Amino acid sequence: MGAGISFGQVSHTYRPPRGRPVLALDGVSLDVGEREFVALLGPSGCGKSTLLYLLGGFLPCEAGSISVGGHPVTGPGPDRGVVFQNFALFPWKTVRQNVLYGLEKQRLPKAEREKRAQELIDLVHLSGFEDSYPSQLSGGMKQRVAIARTLAIDPQTLLMDEPFGALDAQTRTLMHEELLAIMRRTPKTVVFVTHDVREAVYLADRVAVMTARPGRVKEIVDTHPSNGSRADFIHTREYTDKVDYLWNLVRDEAIRAQEERD
Amino acid sequence: MSNDVASVAPPAPQAERRVAKLRLNSDNFVIRYLPLVLLAILWEIAPRVHIVDPSELPPLSAVAKAWVGLLMDGDLWTNGTSSFFNWFFGLGGAIIIGVPLGVTMARFAVVEDIASPVVKALYPMPKSALIPVMILWLGLGAGSKIASIGMSCLLPVILSAYNGARGVDHTLIWSARSCGANERDVLWEVVLPSALPEILAGIRNAVAISFIVLVASELLVGQRGLGYLISFLGEGGVYDAMFAVVVTVSALGFFADRAYLYFMRRTLVWRE
Amino acid sequence: MERINSQWRRKLLRSSSVILLAVAWEWGARMHFVSDFLLPSLSSVLVRLFDDLVSGDLLIGLGLTLVRTFAGFSMAAVAGVVIGVTIARFRLVRWFFDPVVSVGNPCPKIAFLPIFILWFGVFDWSKIAMVAFSSVFPVVVATWAATENVDKYLIWSAQSLGVSRRALLWQIVLPSAMPEVFTGLQIALPISLIVVIICEMTMGGEGLGGSMMTSMRFADSPGVFSGIVAIAIVGSILVKLMEIVRRRLLVWHQESA
Repeated sequence: MGAGISFGQVSHTYRPPRGRPVLALDGVSLDVGEREFVALLGPSGCGKSTLLYLLGGFLPCEAGSISVGGHPVTGPGPDRGVVFQNFALFPWKTVRQNVLYGLEKQRLPKAEREKRAQELIDLVHLSGFEDSYPSQLSGGMKQRVAIARTLAIDPQTLLMDEPFGALDAQTRTLMHEELLAIMRRTPKTVVFVTHDVREAVYLADRVAVMTARPGRVKEIVDTHPSNGSRADFIHTREYTDKVDYLWNLVRDEAIRAQEERD
Repeated sequence: MSNDVASVAPPAPQAERRVAKLRLNSDNFVIRYLPLVLLAILWEIAPRVHIVDPSELPPLSAVAKAWVGLLMDGDLWTNGTSSFFNWFFGLGGAIIIGVPLGVTMARFAVVEDIASPVVKALYPMPKSALIPVMILWLGLGAGSKIASIGMSCLLPVILSAYNGARGVDHTLIWSARSCGANERDVLWEVVLPSALPEILAGIRNAVAISFIVLVASELLVGQRGLGYLISFLGEGGVYDAMFAVVVTVSALGFFADRAYLYFMRRTLVWRE
Repeated sequence: MERINSQWRRKLLRSSSVILLAVAWEWGARMHFVSDFLLPSLSSVLVRLFDDLVSGDLLIGLGLTLVRTFAGFSMAAVAGVVIGVTIARFRLVRWFFDPVVSVGNPCPKIAFLPIFILWFGVFDWSKIAMVAFSSVFPVVVATWAATENVDKYLIWSAQSLGVSRRALLWQIVLPSAMPEVFTGLQIALPISLIVVIICEMTMGGEGLGGSMMTSMRFADSPGVFSGIVAIAIVGSILVKLMEIVRRRLLVWHQESA
């Protein structure tokens, strides 16, 4: 249950209330297949998050076209679930209430909502914390609640904006494995923004490298493990080669992004 | 308050440290408020032994006695209810108007464009300066006092509601939209709960202001109210009763703040 | 293109809002929608303000009010900072002042005005004492919090560089606490002004508050309104002054960047 995504010559200009407008994206074209996991990789400021927000319908697409499953994107919707780096949990709601939020919007009968919410809380290994508030949870736990809340409404597409960026390295590694396990159970189309090359290669089927601002697609690299199994992928030569290759692509852009800032 | 400079000093000898901890441990309710008890004792003794002039500072027991007298006479009650009436409607009006106004200013550009310059222009003005205008317009009675209190509290409430609603994390709104929320849902289910801590903090501020303006307006004009009573007793030379009412007003302000804090903590239980 | 148009529209709406209000005030008063008494026209208020300025009445009143404000404020500032620092520094002092500040803060200190009149008479000292009493609290609270919460890593770095106790206080702790202390002063100054005005209104006599009450008693509404305008202007000038002083004093602070 996924949907194909198509970006056609997407451009975006960022207009701050004070100051000059800045071209964030310049003619980005990219196709994401159904149930494909694509990572957007690039230096800070390259517009990868902006592209994600356009796909999510949070920003209006003024130039170019974005369509999901053949339909153009007009605004946010439950077909495109989103997970943010800062978790974006409602702090005044408990874990259970957070997960239930999307389900309530879908007007499911109460018993079914509760059942589904509990399933998801169990899926992300947070059973027992249903009545805790986000302020009582660790970073990794908060992100798991965010993922549970998004998955609860069963979106066809998952948009992830550096979701593990705020977590420490160990938690991040554990979350990678959890995410892959979830994706094996319920495959979706995933667009995953990151600046971490290793993370991109480990998780994604393909990695789209973006240039420094204004962002364009520099190159798309296939990162399927050739023997089909991700379990040992990280120990293979193939993995390291891919990481090196991508890092070299990103490195130039990262330097360029630094220079622009100074 | 654990980053206290004294705590990074070299450790004192064992015995001294233990005594120091016992004596000044502020977790103990009695020890924490002991200074006030000592001050109360001082208040009783100093006038009696003429360290201070008892006609200028009656001993605490005389003040307490006068307080009971006022209570029995009903003066405290009639003036108290009059003050309460003014305070309640003044502060209540400010909250009922201010919170929706502040939130709509934050959410709807049109409202902000119209209201914000007016708000910004009025902000630096000491609101108590409006009291004479209110008296001019509404007379010497309750109306001018309610209006004075309302006007003085309105701005802080509007500002905190505005800032609270503006400061909503946009990723919260986006997450809600992705869960299928519409504009109305976003306002009631995301913006308002998110702004609530700041709104409640602004209202706490407004409560303190309301007391000040209430007393000030009652000291100025009128025939009723606790402020009036203080002034009346002072002019009449009945100083022990005057002190009694001053203490009463102060206590009311203190307990109102504490009660509000308790309510605030209960409501915002999700904050850690 | 549309975005730019709407930005201009908003700018226009904002700046015209106050002008429109002023125009509406003037027009409404001239049309006598409400009696002249309730709402004198903006022009008559401004004329009155100008007259008072020229005759010197305004300056006298302004001067008195400001003198009282600054007298009380400076007392509160000095006392407040000293108390605040010693509270943070000495456990015994903290023990004593903690409940006093915590209980005293939410009390409406203006209720003490008749007591101060009893103690200090009906002239300036009671007003100044009232101002100092009201304004000292925010200064104490801000200084206490600022001094106590100085970044301990800053202190540890200084100590490992071998700084003496005294130097630690004056060279590390106080400068570090300055921004927050100054914020406390910025809160206290408008309080000082308000309290002076209220005292003057209650006790009469000269001063901006006093002359406003006199106008009110004589049903001289242009006088009342011109008083408000004068006070509003003074209020905003004081606030702006504090901001300028802050920028100068705290040049190093990242907020000023």
